[in-house]
Amino acid sequence: MSTALAALPATTRKPRATVPPMVAFALCWIAAMLAVAATVQWIAPYSYTALDLRARLHPPVFMGGDWRHILGTDELGRDVLARLLYSIRLSLLIAFGATLIGAALGTLLGFLAAHLRGLVEQVVLALADFQASMPFLILALSVLAFFGTSLTLLICLLGLHGWERYARISRGLAISAGAQGYAAAVRQLGASPWRVYGRHVLPNIASTLIVSMTLAFPEIILLESGLSFLGLGVQPPETSLGNMVGYAREYLTRAPWILLSPAMVIVMTTLSVSMLGDWLRDKLDPTLR
Amino acid sequence: MPLLKAEGLVRRYESRQGLFGRIAHIRALDGVSLELRKGETLGLVGESGCGKSTTGRLVLGLEPADEGHVVFGGAPMPGPTTPEWRRLRARMQMIHQDPLGALDRRLPIGAQVEEPLVIHRRGDAAARAGRVAALLEEVGLDAGHAARYPHELSGGQRQRAVIARALATGPELIVADEPISALDVSIQAQVMNVLAEAQARHGLALLFVSHDLRVVRQVSHRVAVMYLGRIVEEGEPDAVLREPAHFYTRALVSAIPHPSRRDAKRIVLKGDPPSPAARPAGCAFHPRCAAAVALCAREVPELKPRADGRKVACHLAHGDAMPVRKAA
Amino acid sequence: MLRFLTIRLLRAALTIVLVVTFAFIVLRMSGDPALLIMSADAPPEAIAAFRKSWGLDAPLWVQYVNYFGAILHGDLGQSMRDGRGAVELVAERIPATLALTIPALVLKIGLGIPAGIFAALHRNSFIDRAVMFAAVAGFTVPSFVLGLLLVLVFAVQLGWLPSGGQESWRHAILPIVTLGAGGAAVLARFTRSAMLEVLGQSYIRTASAKGVPWMSVVRNHALPNAAIPTVTIVGFMVGSLLAGAVVVESVFSWPGVGRLLVVAVANRDLAVVQCILLVVAVTMVTANIVVDLLYGFLDPRLRAGVKA
Repeated sequence: MSTALAALPATTRKPRATVPPMVAFALCWIAAMLAVAATVQWIAPYSYTALDLRARLHPPVFMGGDWRHILGTDELGRDVLARLLYSIRLSLLIAFGATLIGAALGTLLGFLAAHLRGLVEQVVLALADFQASMPFLILALSVLAFFGTSLTLLICLLGLHGWERYARISRGLAISAGAQGYAAAVRQLGASPWRVYGRHVLPNIASTLIVSMTLAFPEIILLESGLSFLGLGVQPPETSLGNMVGYAREYLTRAPWILLSPAMVIVMTTLSVSMLGDWLRDKLDPTLR
Repeated sequence: MPLLKAEGLVRRYESRQGLFGRIAHIRALDGVSLELRKGETLGLVGESGCGKSTTGRLVLGLEPADEGHVVFGGAPMPGPTTPEWRRLRARMQMIHQDPLGALDRRLPIGAQVEEPLVIHRRGDAAARAGRVAALLEEVGLDAGHAARYPHELSGGQRQRAVIARALATGPELIVADEPISALDVSIQAQVMNVLAEAQARHGLALLFVSHDLRVVRQVSHRVAVMYLGRIVEEGEPDAVLREPAHFYTRALVSAIPHPSRRDAKRIVLKGDPPSPAARPAGCAFHPRCAAAVALCAREVPELKPRADGRKVACHLAHGDAMPVRKAA
Repeated sequence: MLRFLTIRLLRAALTIVLVVTFAFIVLRMSGDPALLIMSADAPPEAIAAFRKSWGLDAPLWVQYVNYFGAILHGDLGQSMRDGRGAVELVAERIPATLALTIPALVLKIGLGIPAGIFAALHRNSFIDRAVMFAAVAGFTVPSFVLGLLLVLVFAVQLGWLPSGGQESWRHAILPIVTLGAGGAAVLARFTRSAMLEVLGQSYIRTASAKGVPWMSVVRNHALPNAAIPTVTIVGFMVGSLLAGAVVVESVFSWPGVGRLLVVAVANRDLAVVQCILLVVAVTMVTANIVVDLLYGFLDPRLRAGVKA
């Protein structure tokens, strides 16, 4: 194990000539999605709420429509492409926010458990067990039932997904680093806990945490789109990918195109991020499963 | 007045089998007292598990003693991780056995040597950089090593970097826990010299923990032999090696390969050292001691000085009992 | 063995207590139940009377104890919508959900585990690649997308099957396939990696080097060992028999527990939500205990360790 870790920085500094084509494709897709999210207000052909009542349920170009609405329109005449682009932004925003919250919360609790041990550690571990043994969707739905739906609550709630994984990882690695490793050495130099965890432990476990984040990210996208599909996530007039699919369900017979483009974006994005995550895991962190 | 004074240190560990298992108390240290003056090196030897590393951690205050106390520079040792304890780290340092484990593999060597100076707010950036260069030179590394990462250095170079880091704040006490035993035999002597020279130059008090009696003899002014959580003999290294008083020390000395001696004289100890959880009554060494008498199984021998100044914890060595000739 | 069981049961009880506490905390944090249930412009005396009759004027810990006691007596309150008992409402939906999830579970196990084993034994073959591809697809295609695509093809385009509702067994086919396909893919991927891990162990190579026929090495050594991690994931699937169909039931308008939950959440029908939460927790915890006992049965090392 220690030799594997010692060899690690050397391998990561190698030129990235060996990116497999599938991963390269995944990277391109992710870059395109990020570009869309960053520039949506300039590239979207219409506002996502703009109605065009004369062009309701217009088919897309490849199904006999015209170039005014490339991906067609919904039954209020809203442009599907414009809604898709705005949905990408909101879905990515939620998933990013939630992933960051989950990683930060889990790492913090893991460090606290490793540092304080005793009762705090037992409580964190019991909560982690609890979280891992309950289906997250049910917990999330219960919270939404009690508190109602709002965007902030949704992001925070999805941030709770997967915190226990980061907590377990960071606790385990911090304990082993503190037992005999560099963290113990730095502590006995007189460093404060902030310094030990912030400057030493965190950078050392960052690659593991980043891999976990890339593996959690697609799960959060799926959760968000699932909740939004059920009408319990993002609320109109805001729109997200799952929201669009849920809406498309009502017009499945008359306007199947409303379903196809958001469904494809969901699948492609989760596929790309999880392929990237698998690749990073093999590259950076052979200790993860 | 000694720089460091430890009296009656006891350290117990609890080990529990399973969630509701019975708690076993392990006495890793069972009443250790020692003194260390400025500029003096005390060698601490014994088999693995005898409590010598625990002694090192306790005198540095890295973990609290269950009984007894440590006095450093005339003041009692503050509890671990208190602000006073943290400030005190600038005056006492530790050198670990495994330099790769003790260094952060994500930071260049220079930053790690500088770190104690940053923690204890010594000087501005320029002054610290100059100090780092001087420290690296002192331990036999060159300025170019500052930008390297731990995995880019050899084992000996890493341990030199760890020594440089330990010297950074100009400490008065250093505990070196098996500092060369993880290194290649060919470079052990060089690293040992770096440590010995630093000790002499800065007038450090050095507690040198090792299982190797020969290495301890080279660097120490005094040597203490530990067995099962207690010091059983303490004295001048040459005298102890030439004429060991405790039967355990005799066995250790006879285990040193010696060109002019035949193997016939070697004392081979029976069995393994007992676990500290099942410490034998009386003298802990008596089940393995060739000369043990009935008294040894009954009474714990006290560590007390003989007429020649040597301290020994053995009934026979003090003439409290007569050795019995046993058929081999 | 007895101690092992005791610890497991204690931990299970702790999980249930945590769920109840979670429900209690969230319930109290979500606002004044009196104002939530009665309208905000109700006369103050009426609100005070409501508080008194529901014990809401007592200190928080008394409320917590009362709440716990009520749950222990099976009193989970009434639905705010039609005033029927929450337990009754949930109970009558359970058969419909099981009618989907049990066949789906059979499909997952019957398809996923053999596919995973086969893929591992024929590594890098065409079938292995196909299984891996299906596994990745099973993870990345959300069930509501898969369900709607199946509806689009088989109900809208081909007209072979109905798109939703619960009138006949034909209505159950698409939801079962939707549920089963995703789970089978996950299970296949898991079984494959468990098998590959076991096949790489030295005792497998030793056994085959001794001249034991390959198929009997697989049957006697590889499969029992690979079963251990696979049991975990099957256990989780069994545990989510009630909770795993929330999205699919909504896609196909199937009147099961999941659909009830979604409607209850949308209407903030707290008693029903809380009842479902508790039922799911109990099934999940029970499944976990069964998995742990199966572990002991499958892994002789654990069995020995438990006795010692």
